[in-house]
Amino acid sequence: MTLIEVKGITKKFDDSWALKDINFSANKGDFITLLGPSGCGKSTLLNLIAGFLSPTSGSIEVNGSDISHLTPENRDSAMCFQSYALFPHLSVLENIAFGPKQKKVPNKEVVKRLNSLLQQVGLTEHKNKLPNKLSGGQQQRVALARALAVQPSLVLFDEPLSNLDAKLRDQVRIEIRALQKELGFTAIYVTHDQSEALAMSDKVLLLNNGVIEQAGTPEEVYFSPKTEFVANFIGAANVHRVKITSINNSAISVMLGTELVEFESANYKDLKVGQEISICWRPEVARLWTEKLLLDNDNRYNKIRAQFVSSAFQGAYTDVFIKIKGEEKIFKLQLPRYPDLKTGQEINFSLPKDSILIVEKV
Amino acid sequence: MKKPWWVVLLLITPGFGFVLLLIGAVVSMAVAQSIGFYNFAGESQFSLEHWQQIINGDGSRRFWRAFRYSAYIASYSAILSVIIAYPIALWLRKPFKGSITLSAILKAPMLVHGLVAAFLMINVISYHGFINEFMIWSGLWDKPVRMQNDKLGIGVIFLQVWKQMPFALLLLSGSVQNLSDSVLDAAQDLGAGSIARFRKVVLPLTLQSLQAALILIFIGAAGDFSFQKVAGPTAENSMATLMIYVQTDVGDWNGAAVIAIMLMVLALFGSLAVAIVAKYVSRVATL
Repeated sequence: MTLIEVKGITKKFDDSWALKDINFSANKGDFITLLGPSGCGKSTLLNLIAGFLSPTSGSIEVNGSDISHLTPENRDSAMCFQSYALFPHLSVLENIAFGPKQKKVPNKEVVKRLNSLLQQVGLTEHKNKLPNKLSGGQQQRVALARALAVQPSLVLFDEPLSNLDAKLRDQVRIEIRALQKELGFTAIYVTHDQSEALAMSDKVLLLNNGVIEQAGTPEEVYFSPKTEFVANFIGAANVHRVKITSINNSAISVMLGTELVEFESANYKDLKVGQEISICWRPEVARLWTEKLLLDNDNRYNKIRAQFVSSAFQGAYTDVFIKIKGEEKIFKLQLPRYPDLKTGQEINFSLPKDSILIVEKV
Repeated sequence: MKKPWWVVLLLITPGFGFVLLLIGAVVSMAVAQSIGFYNFAGESQFSLEHWQQIINGDGSRRFWRAFRYSAYIASYSAILSVIIAYPIALWLRKPFKGSITLSAILKAPMLVHGLVAAFLMINVISYHGFINEFMIWSGLWDKPVRMQNDKLGIGVIFLQVWKQMPFALLLLSGSVQNLSDSVLDAAQDLGAGSIARFRKVVLPLTLQSLQAALILIFIGAAGDFSFQKVAGPTAENSMATLMIYVQTDVGDWNGAAVIAIMLMVLALFGSLAVAIVAKYVSRVATL
């Protein structure tokens, strides 16, 4: 059942467009993430849904009724702010009770909700403390409990984890998702962190320059990026502009610098020899040829010669930066082990043919 | 390493001691004079006679009237000043075109001396002042209306508010501008309308500035001399005008010192009372 439907929303600030013709919908219980770089319009979209901004055109419907004209206090949504936005003069308990009291919820019901939420977010023993006596993670939990206390149809999250350290971020991320599944509320979550978006969402809307570049499940946007921007933004894929040298049914050949690269494409009928296309591949699909113990005649893989430039140890994997002869760009491989390579050393790496995708040029 | 108390005392003596000396000298002088010492018209010796005369004797009725009048003027001036300053501070919270100029204009009365302000006010409200002249010229009034030296001291309160409101605005603007947008947004998002947001978020979070404004305005208005002298009701004395009258016209320096001490008491306890009431109101508003 559709809970929220955003129809043709545009927002203009003075002379610049913040959002252009945004359309999407979310079902009850969905976890939708608005992902994108700074200035892409994701927070503007969230503020339009919350009612802090009015759209230039278009409408927002919740449960079939247009709420575009309603002020935030009259909408059935609650927001978790980036800075937590807890009331500094009120205790944890009073912060959480603020919303229900404003909405004139009977006292008995308020107490019931408070007890249940304090238990759910694990803050019962801190209920009488002021926010400044809590850690960042605890403050974020209070903010979440405060939003949930009004039992909104829609919970809006504006980069709620960006002020937490990496370890705590992972922990609170899991807690938010678990709570969302348990209570079944619909969530719209804004973040610029792709790992957050991929880990938490049922659906990701990737925004760029005020438009939705791609919408889909985390798997879809990661494994089947539609544009150069999506490929680059999610997972930092290697993207190249190349010319097609031959088309043999669905097998496409292109030159990557001096190296011949082959891959399969279902859309081969729309392509022509000599046409410039944009292709992408994920850094983690490549392996050093020696590492893979492949036979030289295994035609599922491209064997590409390159020069080792540098590496960066990341713990669980190593980022290896390479240069392909005839290409200006530096490419990245993500290898599971730390390779013993020297700058300038020639290497061969494998690139599975089925891992190369054609993406739209931006 | 923790310093011994006498080292700390020695370290703060140059600053704190100087302030204490200046304030202490004046206050102790007034106290001493009120209990019979430094008597310029008679024998200097300890006596509570001046207190008896002013507070409970022949002049007590006039004294208590002046006390009540000063408390009334000070309370109304302080409360009205912050009531007017609050919405302006909130309005100017977010910069807009011309807001800096507007803010500067609103604070301009702080640069005008009280006596000059009183004089200008008289020009406006006197029997042949601008308002009366204009109303008669426009045909709205047949004859001039008496506005100067009104019985309720409204002219004095008006002048006090005109002069002190910018001061309240200055104090409140600072703390209102420090309010986080997201905290106000959160309150709205959770269902609080504009009045609820003011009561439950703005007021408690700016309470200290509010109290500071109330205290300072109350003290200033309680001790007012110039506005009362120029624009105040002729039948009423403020504590300051009564003190000068007792000192110069009656020649009772010790009696004037009693009034001075009581003026300090009024300023201290009156301002504290206003601040406590403000805190109580804020607490009730938050419930």
